[in-house]
Amino acid sequence: MEKIAAKVREVAKQALASGAVTKILGWETGEFWYDASPVFITDEKAADSLIWDAFCVTNLSKYLIKELKTTQKIGVFLKGCDSLAFNQLLKDHRIDQEQVVIYGLPCPGMIDPEKVKKAGLHQGLLKVKRSGDELTFVTANGEKKVSSRSFDYDKCLRCRYPNPVVYQELIGEEIVRETSNEDRFADVSALENLSPEERYDYWTKQFSKCLRCNACRNVCPACSCEKCVFDNVAAGISGKATVDSEEQFFHIIRAYHVAGRCVDCGECSRVCPVGIPLHKLNHKIMKDMNELYGTYEAGVDGADKSPLVTYTLDDTDPFDGHRQGEK
Amino acid sequence: MKKLAKSKLFEVWSIIAKEHELFVPVEQEGESVNFSLWQEGEHVNLDHLKTNVSPKQIVFPQTETYLKFKTTGKKLSLENVGGKQAPYVLFGVRPCDAQSFALIDNVFLTEPVDRFYEERRNKGILVSLACSNPEETCFCQAFGITPGEAPQGVDVATWDMGTFLLWKPQTAKGESLTNQLNGVLEEALAQDEQDCQELQQDIQQKLKDLPLAKIDPKQITGDLKEIFDAKIWDEYSSRCLGCGSCTYVCPTCHCYDIRDFDGGKAGERFRCWDSCMFSEFTLMAHGNPRKTQKEKFRQRFMHKLVYYPNNNEGVYACVGCGRCMDKCPVNMNIVKVIKKLGGEKA
Repeated sequence: MEKIAAKVREVAKQALASGAVTKILGWETGEFWYDASPVFITDEKAADSLIWDAFCVTNLSKYLIKELKTTQKIGVFLKGCDSLAFNQLLKDHRIDQEQVVIYGLPCPGMIDPEKVKKAGLHQGLLKVKRSGDELTFVTANGEKKVSSRSFDYDKCLRCRYPNPVVYQELIGEEIVRETSNEDRFADVSALENLSPEERYDYWTKQFSKCLRCNACRNVCPACSCEKCVFDNVAAGISGKATVDSEEQFFHIIRAYHVAGRCVDCGECSRVCPVGIPLHKLNHKIMKDMNELYGTYEAGVDGADKSPLVTYTLDDTDPFDGHRQGEK
Repeated sequence: MKKLAKSKLFEVWSIIAKEHELFVPVEQEGESVNFSLWQEGEHVNLDHLKTNVSPKQIVFPQTETYLKFKTTGKKLSLENVGGKQAPYVLFGVRPCDAQSFALIDNVFLTEPVDRFYEERRNKGILVSLACSNPEETCFCQAFGITPGEAPQGVDVATWDMGTFLLWKPQTAKGESLTNQLNGVLEEALAQDEQDCQELQQDIQQKLKDLPLAKIDPKQITGDLKEIFDAKIWDEYSSRCLGCGSCTYVCPTCHCYDIRDFDGGKAGERFRCWDSCMFSEFTLMAHGNPRKTQKEKFRQRFMHKLVYYPNNNEGVYACVGCGRCMDKCPVNMNIVKVIKKLGGEKA
């Protein structure tokens, strides 16, 4: 990834120098070996701080909503999952493609620092380098090479689009990965096999951990309302109480609101400070939609319509044709 | 000083739990560790350094009902339901988190005193546990906390000596708890105390080698206006998602909101944590004085690094636990802010 990182800096510099864009959205490093945070650059000299490594997990496309209001032309680095989010934002009329230059980055997968810590490899760790699936753990005492995806975020192990689906310029070569559709909804099937009571208990326990911090909502590219109903004091539902009813209400409303628009980037689960597997809610809705209306994947295409916003007379009636409306 | 053999922890907890609610760091689902009510069979983890969420929730619950109200005809009846009833013991609290209670005390125990908070503080016995192995995101020393020493204000300070905890009562409440455990605790030997000194020196050395060892907010110079107008707020706030993760895992954040569950003829009035990151925070009838994320972001850090110390004899409203760093979805945090403002030793 280091060679690509050099290209990232070069591309950014050129784009700013030539005036092709006036701002670049990328990542910079910080305090620790896993520290990568978004950075917005307008000065070509500052492009030297740009990085591309196995920790650039944050999705930069949602920032476009705000940044495009004040900047006419922006260059943005997008991974596969980020590009799905970009398409969805286009479709939701939240951004204007004409104002954006996408530099696509094929992504081998991002590393979950927690998994590295659990394996005890973080002691004295200075840097983790990635080349394909080969990781190099650099410490002051030397290097250790591991060839494994066992440190990848769970969401990256499920990734189906390592390559960006939309871009003006691809940086580096497309990654060839076998992606399996078979196990995609295995997490949902496991829950579906539980009794309704067990399932209710499962989610009640998960939601009861919720802090109501809104990280899942704020990171979500499908949550792009100008004003969320949960922030609208006048709506009377902006409850901040950590009681079961409020937590369940918030998460179920959110899951339904992003139904048909969720690009399955898994960011909601990644950012949850208390580890609620929120992506499973989205997976359940996707699985049902696929079974009812045929396979559909939000974000893969920037123009097609979600089955939930189209209607045909021969659409399946969920309460009739699909499991007879069972629980 | 006393000592408590680790093999007798279960016995100690059983005794404590008879007359108190006992909160210990419990491993949940083999994943995160949080303070929760001790029960037989729970997997207590005293080795884990930082609980996922700070133990602030024990003294300042995220949601706490104040009163219940009901109307019958024209008659309105109110029932006061707030406050902590049972005495409790918080076992294994880390020095940074113990210090956070002292910081919140400055807010809630000065006039006008918050009675519910006061009651919770009075009903609690704090048993601290020194940090034998500080982690890379720790920077408590920047705020004058020495995680190897007995924290001020805790009732009993303990140190992990391998096969036993060294046990030092520091207050009347701590003495009383120690007396209840007399049958289980043993007298510490001079050698044990000497070993503890060595442990403390070892911890001090580890602190020096931590990546954030040079963080020092006292190096931040410039007057309030200068810091307030710094360019950093534009730059850093633009990346902030405006979620409340940092504020809700923070042991010192203490802002709250008061809301009603309004069921028409009956309801509850409750207090709940609030976050300066949220759009409706400080929303008033005329509008919101903090209109954009820049103002909200600035408020969070100005409060911790400038306003609070100005009002509290130079004490900062951060204890350097590093939880906000662990949890920020985009890796923005107070350390980056402090560094950018010049808060680092040469």
